[in-house]
Amino acid sequence: MQLHRDRASFAEAGARLVLIGQATPPHAAHFRRTQGIDLPVLADAERLTYKAAGAKVATMDELLGPLVVAKGVMAIAKHGVFQGRTIGDFAQLGGAMIIDIDGTIIWSHMSEDASDIASAVHILAALQSNRLSAPARPGPAVDGV
Amino acid sequence: MFGTATERQHASPPRRADELVDITLPDHEGRVVRLGDLWRDRPAVLVWLRHYG
Repeated sequence: MQLHRDRASFAEAGARLVLIGQATPPHAAHFRRTQGIDLPVLADAERLTYKAAGAKVATMDELLGPLVVAKGVMAIAKHGVFQGRTIGDFAQLGGAMIIDIDGTIIWSHMSEDASDIASAVHILAALQSNRLSAPARPGPAVDGV
Repeated sequence: MFGTATERQHASPPRRADELVDITLPDHEGRVVRLGDLWRDRPAVLVWLRHYG
C-alpha cells in the first residue's frame, strides 16, 4: 500500500497518518496483516465518521459504470491503488482529509465515484503546499496511533 | 441494490472537524481512540478506506 510506503514522508511533514475502515477491529487487524502495514487502522463499523466527513454513497453507475472502471484501471497502473476485498457497505465511498490542530480541515478529497481515490502522492503534495500551524515535533502519545 | 444510492449524491466535506472531534472508534487492537486526540498535538491525515481487503 502506497500510504504505508510513504509513511516516513508523512512523518517528515509533521502529520499523523491514520486509516479508517468500515468494519470491526478484527477486520482491521486482518487488513494490516495481509497488506503488511504498520499504520494505525480505526474500525468504524457504523460508518459514523464517513457520514461526519461528508463521504458519499455511490450509485451503481458510480461503482461499475464503464468510465469508472476505466479510470480505476488507470489508477491501478499509475498509483498502485487498488480495490480490496469487500467488507462493509459495498457502495460506501471513502476519501482523505488533512486536519490542523485547531480542527480546521485544510484539505480534503472525498471520492465522487469508485475510481476517484486520493493517492498518497496527492495527499503529500497537499500537506507540503499548505501551511500547517503545528511544528513537526513529537507530542504526547495517543494509544495505538 | 447492494446498498447503492438511487440518486447521485455529492461528497460534502465540512470546513471544520467539529462533528468528528468527539467520535471514538476502536483501533485494530480494540483500543478506543477519540478522534480529536489525533490532531491534538500535530496535524492529522485521515484516510477513509472504501474497503478492508
